[in-house]
Amino acid sequence: MRHRYGIVLAAAAFMGGCAATTTIDEFRATTAPLEFNAGDKIVILGRRDAGHYETDRDFVGCLSKRMRGSRLAVLPEQQFIDAVYPWFEPRTAPKGLPRLKRLVEEPYVRAKIEDHDVRYLVWLDGTSETQGQLGSMSCTIGPTGGGCFGYSQWEKVVFIEAVIWDLQDLTEKGRIRVDSEGTSYLLGVVAPIPLISPVKSDACSGLGDQLKSFFTDDVG
Amino acid sequence: MFTAQKKIVLILLLAMLAGCSSTTNLEIQQDFPDVVFEPRDYHAAIVIPAEFRSYQARPNEVTFIDIGEAQVVLLGKAFRGLFKRVDVLNARADLHPETDIVIVPSVLEVQLSTPSESYLNVYEVWIKYNLDIESGTGEPIDSWFMPAYGKTPDSFMLSRSEAIKEATIVALRDAGAKLVLDFFRIPSVHSWMERQRDIQEQP
Repeated sequence: MRHRYGIVLAAAAFMGGCAATTTIDEFRATTAPLEFNAGDKIVILGRRDAGHYETDRDFVGCLSKRMRGSRLAVLPEQQFIDAVYPWFEPRTAPKGLPRLKRLVEEPYVRAKIEDHDVRYLVWLDGTSETQGQLGSMSCTIGPTGGGCFGYSQWEKVVFIEAVIWDLQDLTEKGRIRVDSEGTSYLLGVVAPIPLISPVKSDACSGLGDQLKSFFTDDVG
Repeated sequence: MFTAQKKIVLILLLAMLAGCSSTTNLEIQQDFPDVVFEPRDYHAAIVIPAEFRSYQARPNEVTFIDIGEAQVVLLGKAFRGLFKRVDVLNARADLHPETDIVIVPSVLEVQLSTPSESYLNVYEVWIKYNLDIESGTGEPIDSWFMPAYGKTPDSFMLSRSEAIKEATIVALRDAGAKLVLDFFRIPSVHSWMERQRDIQEQP
């Protein structure tokens, strides 16, 4: 019995090592929830103008899904980009509010934004990196069978910043920065056993909940 | 020198090695969104040469990308956003007598960069276009070099052909963006438009 408790505790401690640590910092212009009328929509867009990285499309999709879980309406990213083509392509997307103001002053762009009832843009900028890879694993196969032996670990770091722009008064309503990191393991004990740290999903749920709190008191 | 058996073994080995190299053949069939812009009140003609319509890029020995139809669709949509009336023609002989401006596109070069060459985790495509621009009466206005660039977010979980296709579509969209953003900023086109305005304002 005592041995079983020991194994369970050791397994729990090991699994605990796979947990992700997520830090969220935010700035908001006001503590009151942002105005969100019936029919208004949010668009979550990933920055794609940097040369060496692109904001992860899967992360943008995950966040949109998380936001849709609440009462907030989210217009899919590609649908919005196509609707206002070519003004939100990597080459042309406004990087700051002055450029956005000039763009929205154009009646044809304003009309498209209004047609799609887009009230807020949420820009996501960031990426994930794999660092500190350690260990090695080898897999063999032969006439009598095969298997993997060894141990490997790596650290995944996700850093994303979200900036909320109001398209009605063309102001910035807030910023949220999420840093999430965790260590994943791969154990080779005949069969490879992956113990993956949920870094991206933690960052997505953390950022999603924080973002929802900008629009509603009822986060869930 | 070689016995018959050795020759057969050699031929078989060469045939096996040749089988290891693979060729990527891609045809880009893609629709593009309409351009959001205020078209200028001119009658434009886009003359598409046959080699442009069936253009097949060969950025390296083993990759063929057929971008002909896709780039015709893209340029048609982009110019329809720029001008109120646009004719897409196969030859100059089909020009409407009231055409104000004629554009003849050509592809100068298509370049491809893959992770195995660049050691980056992305596929990149560059398309270099040239637009010969002239007035409806045949007076040359400019020959404009227009580069476009596209890349994949990463190469994870993408096959080589899927990645090249994705990067090419991004590059074609970029060509549309570049055109809409910069066409009326070309100094010679700007001067031509001013001259046209002066002519129209003359009593």
